[in-house]
Amino acid sequence: MQESQRALSAVAPASVPNVTGVRVQPGPIRLAVIDTDSGFVRVLAKRVGEMGWQHRVLTAPPRAEDLLSMRLHALIVDLALLGSSGWEFLEQVCDSVPGLGVIVCTGSSSVAQRVRGLRIGADDWITKPCHPQEVIARVEAVVRRRKRSTPGTTEDAPLLAGELEIRADQFQAFVGGQSIDLTRREFELLHLLAKARGRVLERDEIYQHVWGYAMVHGDRSVDVFVRKVRQKVERFSPGWTYIHTHFGIGYRFEPEAPEDEPPESPADPLANASEEVESSA
Amino acid sequence: MSMLRGSSTSDGLLTLFEESGRNVERTGSLLRELLDDFPERSSLARDILICEQEGDRITHDIIQRLNQTFVTPIDREDIYELASALDDIVDYTEEVADYLGLYKIEAPMEQAQRLAHILLQSCRQVSEAMPRLRTFKDISHYTVEINRLENDGDRTVREAVASLFDNGIDPMVVIRWKDLFERLEEAIDSTERAANILEGVMIKNR
Repeated sequence: MQESQRALSAVAPASVPNVTGVRVQPGPIRLAVIDTDSGFVRVLAKRVGEMGWQHRVLTAPPRAEDLLSMRLHALIVDLALLGSSGWEFLEQVCDSVPGLGVIVCTGSSSVAQRVRGLRIGADDWITKPCHPQEVIARVEAVVRRRKRSTPGTTEDAPLLAGELEIRADQFQAFVGGQSIDLTRREFELLHLLAKARGRVLERDEIYQHVWGYAMVHGDRSVDVFVRKVRQKVERFSPGWTYIHTHFGIGYRFEPEAPEDEPPESPADPLANASEEVESSA
Repeated sequence: MSMLRGSSTSDGLLTLFEESGRNVERTGSLLRELLDDFPERSSLARDILICEQEGDRITHDIIQRLNQTFVTPIDREDIYELASALDDIVDYTEEVADYLGLYKIEAPMEQAQRLAHILLQSCRQVSEAMPRLRTFKDISHYTVEINRLENDGDRTVREAVASLFDNGIDPMVVIRWKDLFERLEEAIDSTERAANILEGVMIKNR
C-alpha cells in the first residue's frame, strides 16, 4: 500500500474510540483520501492542512482493519481508482467501520451508480471536477451528522459498574467520588473493556483500539496495562473483581462483588447515569 | 607458559577472570529478572549499571596486571581478547537495560524475555567454564552448549525482528524494539566469542 502521509500517525490519538471505531470527541478532523489525482489531492491536502486537520493520502485501498486503526472521522474515495472492486471495497468499509463518514468523490457517474453507492452506505457523493472547498464543507457536514446521530451522551455519560464510576468526560474512573488516578492509556483500556461488558476482547483487538496500531506478536503491553489498572482499582475497591483473564485469548469486564457482599443487582447492568436520570424523571 | 600457572601474578589474573565470569552471570541474571517483571522492577537497571562499572574495574585490573607482568599464564593477546569479550557481554547487557528506560518502553516483548533467558544460560556457561583456565581442562561441554544457545538466540532475534514488520505496526515500536533485539543479540554473540577464545586458550595450552 503506497501512501503519502501528512500528519496522521505523528499525532497522538485525540479521542477515545468505542468498539465500533466511532469518534465522538471534538478535535481536529482525521481524514483519509484514496485518490491518485495529484492536482486535486495536493490542493485538498494543503487546505485541510491549513485547517489543522490530520490527513493521509492513500493511492490504494487499505484493509478495513488498517482503516480502523487510523481512527478516522471521514474517508474520501475515488471509486474509479478501484475499478471493478470499488463497490466491494465501499461495502466492506461501510460495514466494518460503521462510525466512519464515507464520501465518494469521483468522475462522471450515472444516477444508478450514485444511488447504488449511497444505498451501500456512502454518506455523500461528489462528482469531479469539484472545488476543494465544497469537498471540505461536505466532509464537515458528514462528520457533523455522524456526531449528531451518534449517541454522544451515551459515550460521554458515566458508566457505573460495581463500585466503579467510569467517566469518559474526565478520562478517569472514580470509587466513592475519589479518583483512582488512572493514566490516559489505563483509562482508555478500562473504558474499552467496560463498554464491552461481559464480552471477551482479544489482546489484539484491545491493542488496536487503545494504542491505535496493530499489535506485534509477543507484545505484553495489554497484559502490563491490565495489571496496572487492576492494581489501581483494587486499591480503591478491594475485594471486587472487574477484569477477568481468559488465558490465551484476552480479557472480559464483569464486576464481581466480594463473596461476603451481595452481588450487584442484575437489573443494574453497566448503568448509564443519564439513562437513570431520564427513567427516574 | 603454563609452567607459571602457580605464580601469584598468574593466580591473580585467573582470579580476576573468575570474578569477571561471576559478574557476567550476575548481570545476565539481573537482566532476566528485569525483563520478566518489567516494568515493576525497573530499578534493577541501576544494579545492572553497577555490574557494568564492576566489569570495567575488573577489565582495568586485568590489563594493569598484564602490563606489570613479563611472563603471563596464557598468551597476552588471549588475555586482552578474553577480558574484552567478557566486558562486551556486560556492556551490551547494560545497554539493553538502559535502553528500556531511555526508549520509555512500557511493556516487555515475549521474545525479549526469551532472549534474556538464553543470555543468562549462556552467561552461566561462561562463568562455569572460567575456573577451567587454571587446569586447561576440556571445556567443549560448555562451548557446545553456548553455541547451541547462540543459534537459538539468532533464530529468536530473526523471528522477533520479522514480527516487527507485519502490517500496521507502530513505527516507533519497530525502531525501539529492533534496537533492543540487536543489543540482546550482541550480548549473546559476545558470550560465544568469549567461549571461542577460552577454547583456543585451552587447546594451545593442553
